[in-house]
Amino acid sequence: MANLNIDSVKTRTFDAIVIGSGISGGWAAKELTGHGLKTLVLERGRDVKHIKDYPTTNKFPWEFEHHGQLPAAVTEANPIASRCYAFGEDSAHFFVKDKEHPYIQDKPFDWIRGYQVGGKSLLWARQTQRWSDFDFEGPARDGFAVDWPIRYKDIAPWYSYVEKFAGIAGNKDGIPELPDGEFLPGYPLNDVEVYFSEHLKKNYKNRHVISARCAHLSKPNQIHIDQGRTQCQNRDLCQRGCPFGGYFSSNASTMPWAEKSGNMTLRPFSVVESIIYDDKLGKATGVRVVDTKTKETIEYYAKIIFVNAAAINTNLVLLNSTSARFPNGFGNDSGVLGKYIAFHNYSAHIGAEYDGLKEWTVDGRSPTGGYIPRFRNVYKQETNFLRGYACGFSAYRYQQHKYDGVGSSLKEGLVKGDLSPWYVGSHMMGETIPKESNHVSLDSKLKDEWGVPLLRINIDYDDNDEKMKKDYIEQLTEMFTSAGFKNIQPSTNHQAPGLDIHEMGGARMGKDPKTSILNEWNQVHACKNVFVTDGACMTSTSCQNPSLTYMAITARAADHAVSELKKGNV
Amino acid sequence: MDRRTVLKNLALVIGGAVLLPSCLHPDGTTYIKLKHIDIDADQEKTIADMCETFIPKTNTPGAKELNLPAFVLKMIDDCYGKKDQEAFLAGMAKFTEMVKTKYNSSFSDLSVKDREAILTGIENSAKPKEGAKATARRPRPQKHLEADPQMAFYWAVKQQTIYAYTTSQYFMTKLVFYDMIPGRYNVHYPVSKLKLA
Repeated sequence: MANLNIDSVKTRTFDAIVIGSGISGGWAAKELTGHGLKTLVLERGRDVKHIKDYPTTNKFPWEFEHHGQLPAAVTEANPIASRCYAFGEDSAHFFVKDKEHPYIQDKPFDWIRGYQVGGKSLLWARQTQRWSDFDFEGPARDGFAVDWPIRYKDIAPWYSYVEKFAGIAGNKDGIPELPDGEFLPGYPLNDVEVYFSEHLKKNYKNRHVISARCAHLSKPNQIHIDQGRTQCQNRDLCQRGCPFGGYFSSNASTMPWAEKSGNMTLRPFSVVESIIYDDKLGKATGVRVVDTKTKETIEYYAKIIFVNAAAINTNLVLLNSTSARFPNGFGNDSGVLGKYIAFHNYSAHIGAEYDGLKEWTVDGRSPTGGYIPRFRNVYKQETNFLRGYACGFSAYRYQQHKYDGVGSSLKEGLVKGDLSPWYVGSHMMGETIPKESNHVSLDSKLKDEWGVPLLRINIDYDDNDEKMKKDYIEQLTEMFTSAGFKNIQPSTNHQAPGLDIHEMGGARMGKDPKTSILNEWNQVHACKNVFVTDGACMTSTSCQNPSLTYMAITARAADHAVSELKKGNV
Repeated sequence: MDRRTVLKNLALVIGGAVLLPSCLHPDGTTYIKLKHIDIDADQEKTIADMCETFIPKTNTPGAKELNLPAFVLKMIDDCYGKKDQEAFLAGMAKFTEMVKTKYNSSFSDLSVKDREAILTGIENSAKPKEGAKATARRPRPQKHLEADPQMAFYWAVKQQTIYAYTTSQYFMTKLVFYDMIPGRYNVHYPVSKLKLA
């Protein structure tokens, strides 16, 4: 028996453990296995193999039971998931259903989750804009949160590193606040987007419309072909999983790469209950996992642990990892764990018509659109709110059908029809200010099926967000008006935080262990063999879509982890 | 075989067995047993004849030939909430009553001309703000129905008939071309080169 136990411990011991297989976990898995580390990747959901497990990917609309619409029973049972734009009959199987994984909303929070190998990397909007020092220096300059312990120069080579592998389409735009990267050919702006871009260039300082950089293979390089991926086919059906590997996901890219190394052990259906801390050794020795099928508790051991459970769930794992050393949650000497969570403000839109360029249109589909980098408070504070917003901007037209009447005239109206005028649309993507009061915590009594405490979420907008939203509407209205757009219709919604799917923070990086959880290498200040490199590590939110930054931070931290391992420092 | 068909087939090969067409054929070859609403044979016939009046057989197939009525019923049964379904049923009763009073006949027993007159009459009496128009580029049924049950019933049948028709295999392959794998994005494209069906 004794021998058996030793053997059992041996089979449960690895060089590294990665908790989570989403966009950052996949990168941790790829980097660590690539350096020869025997790596256990834990995923709480099921396995999703590239192509094989994309059941809807090649279906025509009429091949769906409801031609794409979700039954009322599904939408009524899932009010949270249903609010996500990508939740449809073709993609519902990649979303967590509301009832399966409850949480407590002390304030409304639409927590959109994908519990499977690949996580939300199957569902993301694939926008990949770099941060700049205008972002990393933000908290220090404007006096909120804490200073980032890194600057652009620290992460720039890692942006390049992940961009080359992931495949990012974009143009070299030469805009300091949105640094250029290692790009595949960018998708072009259409005529009205170009028109608006030129209008801004002529009439405003520092306002640009660029082609939004996106994780699509506009023209694959050898490294992408080596991953088994091919050129994006402009299907615009990404949420189903792409059979071409045309966009970056863990499933298409990093996970198969890690698997190919021969160093990865993937264990789906494994909820991490907590990280095990050894008081004598003064470091983490492994993780405690609950098998979601058998409900069995199993311990796994490793020299280093990467926590990539997705921002909010990483907070949950850390908060639930208590020990004599860390009675208030893992690495939580400062008391800031679970606090200073922020997100992106997507609650304003504006639409209009353009009565020109009528002889031009587009042919085919673009996987991306226009992007207006942040132009407010960039070089200096100039408004009555802190920070600023980026804007999506797209122009489109479509065939207008006639739906009136009955019989052959109706039949004809549904087939024929003139092209509409050009419409333009924009949405705001606002930075929010991390605050202590925006926090998550564990419920003291309620637990889920696997014995893990339920999470209470307490996150809300503030006055800064309201002022910024007002400014977005004012500025865009003015820019649209001066561009000659007509029938300008601003709209605001009251979408709850969370629906932006850009929740960040709770285990922020910082220079001072008294006010932050992680150091400049994403190591827990008080336990250097635990690394947190998903959205939980973010000190501030900037207004760029965060996934690319998670990838770069993860690759950088993994490199550091390997070098520290070699030196015997962790 | 054109390039797109090649690509689609290639994707099918890559995708393997999971991509075989669903055994649940949505357009249905027989009437579907409904789960949430009670419709009797006469009512089913009324709806089928309404569908056929909206999308009649001309030199191209009509609603019945394309099995649209079964899909329309399935959509109303599955994709409408309870409140909308109640309004739908109440509206159908009102509609049946109105036809009976006016023509002393059932809708199905009327001539095509009378059927058209009834439907056009309802449509012209009160249009919803957006008409029967589905939103922008992708046809989607409008789920939130009118307060007046008869209008709720009328627009539900009309909208779902349009949705069923425009997302049917016949429509998307024979009348318009649904481009699943464009493989291109050309900007600055002359409208004159566009093939508007």
